[in-house]
Amino acid sequence: MNSRALPIAGALLLGLFGIWAGLRVHTGHAPVRLAAAGGASARAQSDPAPMVTGVDAAFDEGVPTPSKIPEQLPDFSLGDRTGKPTSVSTWRGKSLILNFWATWCAPCRREIPLLESLYAEWGDRDVEVVGIAVDYRDKVVAYADELKIAYPLLIGEQDALDVAAAFGVGTPVFPFTVFTDRRGDIVTLYLGELHKPQADLILSVVQHLDQHRMDLAQARQSIAAGLQALAPKHAG
Amino acid sequence: MKLLIRWAVFLAATLSLGAPASAKPWWMRGVESNESDFLPPDVAFRVASRVDGNVLRVRWVIADGYYLYRHKMEIKAESPDLTLSAPSFPRGTLKTDPYLGTQEIFVQQVEGTVAFSRFDAGAHPIQIKVTYQGCAEAGLCYPPLSKVLFPGAEGAATAAPGQPHPWEGVAIIGGGLAFLLAGLLLRKGRRLDLPAS
Repeated sequence: MNSRALPIAGALLLGLFGIWAGLRVHTGHAPVRLAAAGGASARAQSDPAPMVTGVDAAFDEGVPTPSKIPEQLPDFSLGDRTGKPTSVSTWRGKSLILNFWATWCAPCRREIPLLESLYAEWGDRDVEVVGIAVDYRDKVVAYADELKIAYPLLIGEQDALDVAAAFGVGTPVFPFTVFTDRRGDIVTLYLGELHKPQADLILSVVQHLDQHRMDLAQARQSIAAGLQALAPKHAG
Repeated sequence: MKLLIRWAVFLAATLSLGAPASAKPWWMRGVESNESDFLPPDVAFRVASRVDGNVLRVRWVIADGYYLYRHKMEIKAESPDLTLSAPSFPRGTLKTDPYLGTQEIFVQQVEGTVAFSRFDAGAHPIQIKVTYQGCAEAGLCYPPLSKVLFPGAEGAATAAPGQPHPWEGVAIIGGGLAFLLAGLLLRKGRRLDLPAS
């Protein structure tokens, strides 16, 4: 073999190692290692033996949050309050606020009055609020009746989890809310409890988008900047 | 020159593989979310266990601004020869939510203990499954999480699961620089002479 090939082959090997390492860092899917837990501050002084962490039994380790949010509203169908299959295309041509929630989730319950007010306030401007409950139907219907939730609800268990996954939320954290424009483009996905200032900001931008006063990229940028400005006021 | 540019692009792509998702350049971004506002569940709630005589101790370390629900915490036997008594937890804090009522929660850190016995000591490693569920004060709830723990496996490696090895960053940069070096060598007109087949 030519002597010049050796350093180049070495460089190639190093490069491949770099790619492998980069992929590991990027995805966070390093092989599970048994480990001492929580750092020294978390360990009592008198502990005779180190604690060991475990293997995730239910979910992939790593980020629970959106890995890849689709550009367009995926087509899906779930049962309504009566169990009748209802397609999301029922509201085609409207801007959508799709709120994913569950009855056991306190922040989900807290934001329902806000969603009710958005439904009343924005309904005549072609904005539809749709609650997507990932929960047992009887529990959802009972709670919705108790609160007299007026906006449409779609309800499911594994099928609703699949819908959440279609929005890039593979590990189901709740609540999260997807905002679309009238064309079905996903404008943003808001993770966690929605508050009125954030909702008003996003909806005003969606309205600008629907009126062709800005393009989708500008709308997303505007929302990201606006949410960042609002974040400290609602942190914690 | 073209070759150099080609190598530079490849180097950039190689290095970018190691960058976190949030550091994506603007031209690679699609729909964005506020995901960085919240911690992944394994960071928000770290769980570990150990054997202490005839008792298993399971400890959760909870990040600031996060909490676990007392009534959602479970410790169950997984290995066939293991029998556990009912787990015991310290008193938590009462949290009242107008929409969910009053719940007992744990913040910062909690240790559950459970007495155990084994029919066939030593034949199987002690294996338990813990389940827990919690939320962020900022308004996000995680689903019930389950983990299999091996409390008897003390003395294993010390890096936390899912954490990249500290040398990986060096490897990325080293690999990228090596590629750049190779590109520069090729640019000088040197050719890789492969052996005749």
